[in-house]
Amino acid sequence: MSYTTHNLLLADDDTDDCLFFREALEELPVSSSLKTVYDGEELMKLLSKSYENLPDALFLDLNMPKKSGFECLEEIKLINELKNLPIIIFSTSMDMDIVDTLYNNGAHYYLRKPGDFSKLKKVINDVLIILSTNNFSQPSRDKFILQS
Amino acid sequence: MKNSKNKTHYFLEGGDEMGKLIREKDWSKTPIGNPENWPSSLKTMVSVMLNNPFGMIIAWGKQPTQIYNDAYRLILEETKHPHTLGNNSSENFQKIWNVIQPMFNDVLKGKTILQTAVLLELNKNGVKEECYFDFAYSPIKTEDGTIGGILVTVVETTPNNHKITANKTVYGSMNTSTNLTELNIAKKKGEDAEKRFRNTVKQAPTGITILRGKDFIVEIANDIYLQLIDKREKNVIGKPLFTVLPEARDAVEPLLNNVLNTGKPYHGIDYPIKVNRYGKEELTYFDFLYSPLREDDGTISGIIVTANEVTKSVKSKHFIAESEKQFRNIIMNSPIPMTILKGKDYKIEIANKIMFEKIWRKTEKEVIGKSILTVFPELKEQKYAELLNRVFTTGITHRENESVAFVESNDGMKKFYLDFEYAPILENDGEISGIMITVNDVTSKVEDRIKLEDNEKKFRLLADSMPQHIWTSDINGNLNYFNQSVFNFSGLNNDDLNRLGWLHIVHPDDREKNIETWTNSIITGNDFLLEHRFLRHDGEYRWQLSRAKPQKDIDGKILMWVGTSTDIQDQKNFLTELEKQVKQRTKELQLLNLNLKNSEERYHLMVEEVQDYVILYLNSDGIVENWNRGAQKIKGYKSEEIIGKSFSVFYTENDKKNNLPQQLLNKAYTTGRAVQEGWRVRKNKTHFWASVVITAVHNDINEVIGFSKVTHDLTEKKIAEDTLRNNAEELQQKNDILEKMNKELQSFAYISSHDLQEPLRKIQTFSSQILEKEHENLSENGKDKFQRMQSAARRMQTLIEDLLAYSRTSTTEKKLEITDLNTIVEDVKDDLSDEIASKNATIEIIEICKVKIIPFQFRQLLYNLISNSIKFSSENERPYIKIFCKIAKGKDFNHSKLNPNLDYCNIKICDNGIGFDQQYGERIFEVFQRLHGKEKYLGTGIGLAIVKKIVENHDGFITASGEVNKGASFDIYFPSV
Repeated sequence: MSYTTHNLLLADDDTDDCLFFREALEELPVSSSLKTVYDGEELMKLLSKSYENLPDALFLDLNMPKKSGFECLEEIKLINELKNLPIIIFSTSMDMDIVDTLYNNGAHYYLRKPGDFSKLKKVINDVLIILSTNNFSQPSRDKFILQS
Repeated sequence: MKNSKNKTHYFLEGGDEMGKLIREKDWSKTPIGNPENWPSSLKTMVSVMLNNPFGMIIAWGKQPTQIYNDAYRLILEETKHPHTLGNNSSENFQKIWNVIQPMFNDVLKGKTILQTAVLLELNKNGVKEECYFDFAYSPIKTEDGTIGGILVTVVETTPNNHKITANKTVYGSMNTSTNLTELNIAKKKGEDAEKRFRNTVKQAPTGITILRGKDFIVEIANDIYLQLIDKREKNVIGKPLFTVLPEARDAVEPLLNNVLNTGKPYHGIDYPIKVNRYGKEELTYFDFLYSPLREDDGTISGIIVTANEVTKSVKSKHFIAESEKQFRNIIMNSPIPMTILKGKDYKIEIANKIMFEKIWRKTEKEVIGKSILTVFPELKEQKYAELLNRVFTTGITHRENESVAFVESNDGMKKFYLDFEYAPILENDGEISGIMITVNDVTSKVEDRIKLEDNEKKFRLLADSMPQHIWTSDINGNLNYFNQSVFNFSGLNNDDLNRLGWLHIVHPDDREKNIETWTNSIITGNDFLLEHRFLRHDGEYRWQLSRAKPQKDIDGKILMWVGTSTDIQDQKNFLTELEKQVKQRTKELQLLNLNLKNSEERYHLMVEEVQDYVILYLNSDGIVENWNRGAQKIKGYKSEEIIGKSFSVFYTENDKKNNLPQQLLNKAYTTGRAVQEGWRVRKNKTHFWASVVITAVHNDINEVIGFSKVTHDLTEKKIAEDTLRNNAEELQQKNDILEKMNKELQSFAYISSHDLQEPLRKIQTFSSQILEKEHENLSENGKDKFQRMQSAARRMQTLIEDLLAYSRTSTTEKKLEITDLNTIVEDVKDDLSDEIASKNATIEIIEICKVKIIPFQFRQLLYNLISNSIKFSSENERPYIKIFCKIAKGKDFNHSKLNPNLDYCNIKICDNGIGFDQQYGERIFEVFQRLHGKEKYLGTGIGLAIVKKIVENHDGFITASGEVNKGASFDIYFPSV
């Protein structure tokens, strides 16, 4: 276990999901800070405000008002300062076509929102472990989806 | 060397300078070659020539090579000798070769020619002398009788007085007393001199005799003298002269006596003396010199006589004088124009009457005594002046026939054709003193002939320029002339035609008739007229029309036949073709007429009988003129009700208002045709949908005289079309709706997958949080309810996912890939590892193969079937699942739905589970069909529906068979591509 503080950013318009995420993160035995934004425009505004203080990882929901997670991903990958930001797609559905597209667009992991809270804690923990153990480069396709 | 060898030849012996030159000459370089190879006659002649005192020259061979002797050498010009030896005679006689050559040629043919009194100007010892010679040209024959060459013998005949003045020879000097004195002195100088003198006398070419004493005893007489008197030496020597020649006494004795007495020599010229010789008494003429012979004391002891006989010359002089008189008479009375010109300026000495009148057209006064070239200066511009000069110079007569001459006179220039002769007039001494001109005026004869020739030429030109064949024949029917056209046509020339005969070009089949007709014409004199075939040069026989007419003289006697043959092949071809065509055309027309008649009848019947079409004839104003059964049936009118009315009655009120009937007529009028579909009105005012074609009808001169109108009732078709159109529109609308629904379905699938799942997931999450965190606070009953809630939520999640999968199977694209079924089975086994382990299931692949499928769908299919088999396994038995796969022809599977000849893939999955009642064999594939309670077997009832849909996606079908508690079996069939 690492004792460094993980600065995480969650972009999700669903307040319930934000709550689940925050509660799950808090219950994990790690030092972390979580910032949440509720739509794509807000996200992009925040990220481009200062490229110095970027989060360690971004959890990105796909269905968001104003600007979808797809659009945000594409935009981020076009900005030099942001393209290395680790992005974990955080979504309810799991359509394989969409999954393939996201992988090709440069997302690092795909995390399906589980229906069980304990499973949620487990996958968030898995992400944090991966974050602290490797330099967060995009894995091979078969390891793209994180099982909850 | 050849030269030295020449000395040994016997025939080259003797001769003086020339003997030496001939022997030294290298003859191999001349055309006659080396002397040893000369013909024997040449050898003999050269031998004779070399030793002969007379000038002789041999010209041997075709290119005469000349060899001459010492005497001849004397008359050669200094510059020519000695290189002319062995040369061609033409070089020797260069200047007069044109005169000599014809003579040579004559001699070579065997003639002997004597040319007398030829004047040559010789340069002798630096003094120019005119000398006269007689030339004898005689042929030399070889052994075989042919003539190998010419011998020319030359004897100088220069008159003595000439000779005396110039000749420095001993013979000449003998005629002067002083020199004779020297001779006498020489005589006395001794016996040798005496002998030499005698020899000299003997050899002299002049007759010499010495008479002694009063009795004129003959002391010496040389051979020539003896010849002159025709006596032998023994009968003369020592005898008195007048004993020998008593007949000469009267004439000569006084002269001799006078010389003897006076010592004065006497020179007799042309002196007539009677002599008995050659057996008769003759009057002879002599030139002679009687010179006194003086002794040392001055007394005259005798007379030396030198004599030359000139009888011939004197006699001829007399003859000439006589004949000249007669000659003039002849000329003057001659009917042929004649004139004599004298001297180098050709003075007209005499001319006869006819010459004055016909040729010169001048009077005597204008002409006589004047030069002909002065009187007729135009002769200088013509060839005549030069011809006169030539004849005057060469002495050779010039003759010419039909020579054109222009003679100017008071009546102008006149053209003549003349036969004429310029003959030199020779004096006794051989000199040319003038020219005699004889003229024969042949002008009219020549002009007639030229006219005839011109006519003939014109005729031939005309005949040759004719494309027709023209020919003539003699009165016996022998063809003797063909024009160019005949040659061009037949490819034969005149010789060919003469050789082969003209019948050769006539077609063999036509020959008999030809001969018959021609013979008939020749016999009767009637015109010849025949059509027959001639062979053209390219081998084609072509028809000719030949005609011939006899040409008759004034008396009606046939002179010849003139015929023509005209190529009528093309006309004949044309005529034949024309006849053929007319026949053909007539036949066609007859047939056409018959057909027309028949077809008109048929047409009428047909039109009348047609029931399905209105067929009308409208006149140019649109008035109905006929009616058929179809018209009655479709429009409802009877013919008597409508004929004579305008066709516009068939149109709706609206169409009539818009003038549609007239518009259609106008269109048909201008474009020939008007087509329209529209509503028309029946008699009973009901409407029908008509297809109308109005066609303009034209007469021969292309004027529109009316219209045909064909109307078809298409009402039913129209209704059917309208219905069809409406149906299609409806279908389109339905399709649109369907598409919309599809889209809605897709969005429903999305909502299902996303929006429906979200609240569900939240319910699950919250309940899990409560169960986890509030576990202590919940009663057992509450916990149970919470767990049931979670179970329900899970079922709902499965349901949503299955629905989503079901909807996707039909909406996704078909991407067939050849896939190893084994791999898919292994994947599914992986996915189901937990269930397999918990139930201790066995999955056996009995037969497997590669198939062309959509891999992820087949994975879903096998997943659903295998998971079903595990799910519905028997409680008492471990699940045992077998999978078979087979590819074969439809006929091998024994299933009525399969095409026996196509390849199919059959996948069979059997289990030993709880099975099912076969009555549900179809139903189990329907959505939400469940055979068991939810509590006992989890499931949404969508799994097999998805399986069925996937199989259908692969154009296949699935059947299920089962038996309760024994097991179930699924058979999938789909085409193996």
